[in-house]
Amino acid sequence: MKKVLLVLIMISAIMGNVFANGQQEAGSGVRPTLELLQNKPEIDPQLKAYAKAWGDANGVDVAIKTVGGSVDVTVGQMLTIGYAAGDLPDIFIFPGVDDYKQWAEVILDVSDQKWVDDTAVEFVYDGKVYGFPVAVEGWGMAYNAEILEAAGIDPAGLVNLEAYTAAFEKLDSMKAELGLDSVMSMAAAISMSWVTAHHNFNSLLSNGLAYGDLSVTNDLLAGKVDMDRLEQYASWVELLFTYADQSILVTGDYDAQVGSFAMGKSAFLHQGNWADGNIEASGASFERAFAPHGSMTEATDGIFVSAPSYYAINKDSKVVDYAKKFLNDLVYTDEGHNYMVNEAGMIPAFSPVTLSPSSPLSQSVQKWVADGKVYSWDQYYFSEDFRNNTLGPIYNQFAGKQINKAQFIDALNTAFESLK
Amino acid sequence: MKKKQHDLVFWLFLAPAVIAFLMVILIPFIMGIFYSMTDWTSRPQPEGLQFVGLLNFIDSFKDISFIYSFLLTIVYTFVNMIVINIVAFGLALLVTSKIKFDNIFRAGFFLPNLIGGLILGYIWQFIFNMVIPNLPVISAIFPAIAESGNLMLATRDSAVMAIVIAGSWQYAGYIMMIYVAAIISVPEELFEAAKIDGASSFKNLIHIIVPMTAQAFTITMFLTLVQSFKQFDVNVSLTGGGPSTQFAGSFIRGTELLALDIYNTAFTANSLAESQARSVIFFIVLVLISLLQVRRNKKKEVEL
Repeated sequence: MKKVLLVLIMISAIMGNVFANGQQEAGSGVRPTLELLQNKPEIDPQLKAYAKAWGDANGVDVAIKTVGGSVDVTVGQMLTIGYAAGDLPDIFIFPGVDDYKQWAEVILDVSDQKWVDDTAVEFVYDGKVYGFPVAVEGWGMAYNAEILEAAGIDPAGLVNLEAYTAAFEKLDSMKAELGLDSVMSMAAAISMSWVTAHHNFNSLLSNGLAYGDLSVTNDLLAGKVDMDRLEQYASWVELLFTYADQSILVTGDYDAQVGSFAMGKSAFLHQGNWADGNIEASGASFERAFAPHGSMTEATDGIFVSAPSYYAINKDSKVVDYAKKFLNDLVYTDEGHNYMVNEAGMIPAFSPVTLSPSSPLSQSVQKWVADGKVYSWDQYYFSEDFRNNTLGPIYNQFAGKQINKAQFIDALNTAFESLK
Repeated sequence: MKKKQHDLVFWLFLAPAVIAFLMVILIPFIMGIFYSMTDWTSRPQPEGLQFVGLLNFIDSFKDISFIYSFLLTIVYTFVNMIVINIVAFGLALLVTSKIKFDNIFRAGFFLPNLIGGLILGYIWQFIFNMVIPNLPVISAIFPAIAESGNLMLATRDSAVMAIVIAGSWQYAGYIMMIYVAAIISVPEELFEAAKIDGASSFKNLIHIIVPMTAQAFTITMFLTLVQSFKQFDVNVSLTGGGPSTQFAGSFIRGTELLALDIYNTAFTANSLAESQARSVIFFIVLVLISLLQVRRNKKKEVEL
């Protein structure tokens, strides 16, 4: 009898521990935890510092989880794992409509929030607001202004295929005197599919179209391919790949790609304004800005700008009010402004924020936005599976010269036709 | 005195192991087989779980990238088993040959096994991409090694070899320890008798060491087979499945081994049930191959 009692006590002690862990949040003495999942490793330390200060002021422990960058894990994967384990973060980032649809059941409707009136790029679905725009971002052809000037190239003229071809040829012939390894810094390894099959791919979808014009996107999704547009686009990809540093193109990662540009070893970089932090960290101080993509024979005078991702609040979160306050405080407190603009170097998506980022590429994006010369981001209308597993290998084959331009066009065409 | 076979204390001591085994191996395994025959996803499903029979298995075999990963994994396993075992056995002979500092060598060869596979993959990626092309003397003599097309990770075949190299570097030390234990336990009299007969050290190796360590071969072959077949972490971090290749008319990831294919099916393509079906196929194939291998190797063992 004594033994049985002992066993019962032991078991209950063990079980008690197990359950106690699960119930901590309900306890009154313990600080609640607000968990945020995001995918920008470059702002991870800044966000953690801000979150800690905000948490101390509000009596909350804010846990920031960061995925992405060189680490090949996506927010979607983390959410899948979290959902299966019944442990979703309270605030999480999602990039666009495809991901919204997957997680619609757990995303809170935030149409009643104050910040909705102070931004133009919130995530809207069926007339309701679901996403808090993290920032405004843009990509184009980042150029090293000093190198272009030394080569006598006017970046304002870089608006179509012809101009880029001429500029690349000229720079290529002057590589030795300009100290360049290559004209272009481009990455097309499989793990860099987000540069090729996401960002570069968007040139095919929206370059030259009015902001939000989905005609090309919808045609492709329906398997209808505009061969003329595709051929021009293929010439553009070929141009970028031909003049790229071949080692970085085939095997390089983000650090190698940005590093080449930051060290002044290449004149152009195919990345967005987020690369500014990395460029500055490497001690580069040259003047730089964005030029448009020249993916077409006609002039396309604008870069690709949008809110890259949105914070969603988990509908089932135990700390919804804290989550709402966290997002609101970003927009309406000086600390929030300071974090977004000065610390994280983001281009704010909200009108109450009057600060302006100090980094040159972000300023360049702001300038393009102010001029109204922007094209939208439509790549999110294609599933991540399609972009990573179908398009990514095609770009990679083209970069590795296993296929030629005609085969590249053919492969893309076949891929789009399979979408029907 | 009444003899109790299994009393409470017996079960109590067994409980942690049994509970852990049930919770993390047996129950998930049975659930996995069940899920593989449904349309389960970890996302909210308004219509509930539907039973779809063998559809996921059929779809898996229709997927070219799965077939490719399967074939690639078999090739990789074959090459990797041979390389690891040769290297490990060579190292074991080396550290048991009464050289100086043999303990330091033993520890040194074993050390990579203590590094996590992911980190190891990134280290080797750095070596292949940055260090080798920039070796000062060698790249001056052979400028070809710095050419982009000749980088280890630039083409499919060499990238598979790169995984073999990194995988062997990680695992050979561990296998070496098993061989070392076996070689040390070979009775000294056998060598003395051989010496009297005038056997060379090569004859010693072929006629004494190899037969006497045959049971170690059974174990190491089994371990390397399973390890190679399940290769995931080095694959993810070293190549990430790249570079791409063409197979049966499709463009696919060229170095995506089975475990990575299962992972990508689950987490990029979001087909969790199908990926579960692939895991079940993976399990069945691995069990069959392992049984065959162990049975074959057992025949070669000698009893003293």
